[in-house]
Amino acid sequence: MWQLDAPTLITVLTIIVSVAGIVLGSIAPSIVEGIATKTALEAMARQPEAAGDIRTTLLIAMALLESGSIYVLLIVLILVFANPLLELFVF
Amino acid sequence: MDSITPQVVFEIYGIKITNTVVSTWVIMVILILLAWVIRRFKPGIGEVIIESINGIIGSVMPEETGTIKYLPILGTLAVFLIFSNLFGLVPGMVSPTANINTTFALALIVFFAVHVYGIAEKGLWGYIKDFANPIFMFPLEIISHISRTLSLSIRLFGNILSTDLIVAIIFSLVPLFLPLPMATLSIITGLLQAYIFTILASLYIASAVEVQEFEQERRRLKQLKKKSKHSS
Repeated sequence: MWQLDAPTLITVLTIIVSVAGIVLGSIAPSIVEGIATKTALEAMARQPEAAGDIRTTLLIAMALLESGSIYVLLIVLILVFANPLLELFVF
Repeated sequence: MDSITPQVVFEIYGIKITNTVVSTWVIMVILILLAWVIRRFKPGIGEVIIESINGIIGSVMPEETGTIKYLPILGTLAVFLIFSNLFGLVPGMVSPTANINTTFALALIVFFAVHVYGIAEKGLWGYIKDFANPIFMFPLEIISHISRTLSLSIRLFGNILSTDLIVAIIFSLVPLFLPLPMATLSIITGLLQAYIFTILASLYIASAVEVQEFEQERRRLKQLKKKSKHSS
């Protein structure tokens, strides 16, 4: 008989929460990066002589914007592969 | 669990040596041999590499300080990061940067280099005075220095680990042809992250060593005043 004990509940909740977290956490940075790329491309088309400067700044800004989703990914990886909560109930 | 935590290969006197440390040693040997070979037989290649790294750093460094003083540390970071990010594609090896200890050590090097170069450029008192120009910004500056170190290390670690994991997962599902696009993505991400780490490190060093414009103007006016007092 399948039983809803504490480790099973924690595992199921962890899976649901991690998937929801990675989905929600990747939506916002994608939108913002798209806006940044769009603006940079428009600026490059208007002033092709400033393309090099704009590209460097765009790459730095993209790295800074992407760190949000990387934090989400890190937390999800910890939750999925090395769940610290599960050890509380293993006896 | 084995895939994101490094595995212990052997122990020396109770110190656990993980596989990322072993691959760091391999990269060190490769880099030293490569440097020796390039210096001995093909000096032109080394010149091209150094020139290109110098151009990348020079795009963010201020004009008056120049890049040649900071080229050794930033160039070493760039070359080591390129090698170690791409090292996970070698079969049987892991990237050293897929372990958070390596990336945090690199970020700590950048953290200390920023302050050391700032103090060396402006002197201790001048650096502290320039550190937070309105004095109430002092706690915010400290928070920003800590959080930038943390984000520098976690960004590199997360990117390299995630692309390596994706390649490994796809490879375990479909071993033929399908991992190739993911491996290409891994190469692009590795090179881009090495570039971004170097650019951000040089940006932080540049922000520590450059004298702000109104500060420069103030010092110039002070000197002029002193000179006019002397002459009169």
